[in-house]
Amino acid sequence: MSKPASQDSTVVTSGEEAVRNRTAPIVSARTLGVVAIRIGVIGGFLLLWQIASGRWIEAFLISSPSRIFTSLIAGFQSGDLLQHSWVTFLEIAIGFPLGAVVGIGLGYWFGRSRILAEIFEPIIIALNGIPRTALAPLFIVWLGIGIWSKVGVVYLLTFFLNFFNTYTGMRQMDQEYIDLARLMGVKGWRLTFRVIFPAISPYMFTGIRTSIPFSVIGAIVGEFIAATEGIGFFIRLSAGIFRTADVFVGIIILMCMVIIMDQIAGIIEKRVLRWQTQTEHVRIQA
Amino acid sequence: MLLEFGSGCQLQFAAGVFMTRPFDLGCSIGLNRSRIKIAAKLKDMAQTATFATSKNRSGDRLDIRVETVTKLFRTPSEGTICALEGVSLDIPNGEFITVVGPSGCGKSTLLKLIAGLSAPSSGRIFFQDEEVRGLNTKVGYVPQESKLFPWLTVEANVGFGLSSRRYSREARERQISHFINLAGLAGFEKYYPAQLSGGMSKRASIIRALAYEPAAILMDEPFGPLDAQTRMVLQDELLKIWEQKRQTIIFITHDLVEAVALADRVVVMTHRPGKIRDILQVTMTRPRNIFEIHRQEGFDETYAKLWNIFRHELKIGAR
Repeated sequence: MSKPASQDSTVVTSGEEAVRNRTAPIVSARTLGVVAIRIGVIGGFLLLWQIASGRWIEAFLISSPSRIFTSLIAGFQSGDLLQHSWVTFLEIAIGFPLGAVVGIGLGYWFGRSRILAEIFEPIIIALNGIPRTALAPLFIVWLGIGIWSKVGVVYLLTFFLNFFNTYTGMRQMDQEYIDLARLMGVKGWRLTFRVIFPAISPYMFTGIRTSIPFSVIGAIVGEFIAATEGIGFFIRLSAGIFRTADVFVGIIILMCMVIIMDQIAGIIEKRVLRWQTQTEHVRIQA
Repeated sequence: MLLEFGSGCQLQFAAGVFMTRPFDLGCSIGLNRSRIKIAAKLKDMAQTATFATSKNRSGDRLDIRVETVTKLFRTPSEGTICALEGVSLDIPNGEFITVVGPSGCGKSTLLKLIAGLSAPSSGRIFFQDEEVRGLNTKVGYVPQESKLFPWLTVEANVGFGLSSRRYSREARERQISHFINLAGLAGFEKYYPAQLSGGMSKRASIIRALAYEPAAILMDEPFGPLDAQTRMVLQDELLKIWEQKRQTIIFITHDLVEAVALADRVVVMTHRPGKIRDILQVTMTRPRNIFEIHRQEGFDETYAKLWNIFRHELKIGAR
């Protein structure tokens, strides 16, 4: 009917710029510099480590990058390491999604129902107060030394983080969105999936992304306590016979697992939450 | 009732000018007396009729009827608060009604009750002859802040109310683009609310409520947070859009100029407990020129009246 007021259009141009900035790949000199320095720091550290090993500090204490590298190759060649990685991966791959889904579901449910929240909230907070890794031995007792006890620990750690984040999201949710949607005739599962979940999705993703490293911790703690295979078992075994290089190999593999999972979650998050103003927001992993 | 309808028919017969609008009982009795009297009465009624239409430019029936509604709130700190007390209000179909009153006088509460978002403590509310029990999905609601769904594009926001109703895919798209053009948002369909300016998201918020064609629209200080210029532009646009469809609108504001400029009637509410202090008829003709509303005949007079009442209210509020 009429054109947007002039002051509107100025704001809009800045909006357009924001969009352009977001989608266009930015490879500025500054970014290159940042990457160069980062590589320099890592390289310098590795170099220092290599030099220190055997000269200033006993090699069996800190190993060295070159030894770690050879161990890594050897480990994978023998197939041993692959088997351990696979087992740990499996534990996380079962426990993590399970914990996330149940945590989000229950957080949503508690957020919806006032009576449930009133009854169970103190109990859950109390449970959350327990250092959950302390429960790992119990899981071994209940579920044996196979992968299921580790799946249990992973599940436990993941569940609570997702539950609390989703529940917080539900509590912070703006009632007016729900009122508006209902007035517009949206109800039932459509209300849940078109309004409530999108509204709390930033909280859900916070839960998921913070629980990624914890799920790995859960698997490793479980394997430390009692296991016959898995990266945690491999690390403990190697440390027991002073094969320090292998310990570092295990740590590197775990690190890679966390990074890959986080990257995947990050990509999904970016897609799902693309409606959020894309300022440089805090990330867990760079 | 019967008598009223009968008289309506007779009238139509006697003087084809009149539509089916039923006239009041007094007139119809007069009609039945004698032919001469009929003629005299007809003249009378002609006046009444034009007056009535200019009054509320209305359709034929009541859209919203608020019947001695009281709303109490229990708060942990102040005990029970009476937000509304004995509020009665009849709003005919197609009327643009504005509600002014000091802050905390229960204006928003009134809207929430009509929308069925909360239930009155006593009294009843009717919407198109049906009592409002539970959610009233026949109304559209424009909240104070825009409250566009931030995870949906402008397009999807405007179409949000359409998806769940019986609109074909085509009709839906037509409706969306029609309203987006109407609000001057063409080209911004794919934008997310976070990328819009205040005025634009306000426009989008209003057409989101209009797009699915609810019978009445409730607006809770929609232009409150905007700057004066944007505000006037939007008031103008709102009136123009409204002139086309003539939905019933209840528009809450704390701006007296806005209240007079937009309305057919202005409802003045008192400080807590919220009661209706007065209802003012705005006699200005339509279409109105928002940008020079002060020059329009009838504005000053209504505004002066309103200010007089309001000044009194403010004193009470300040004490």
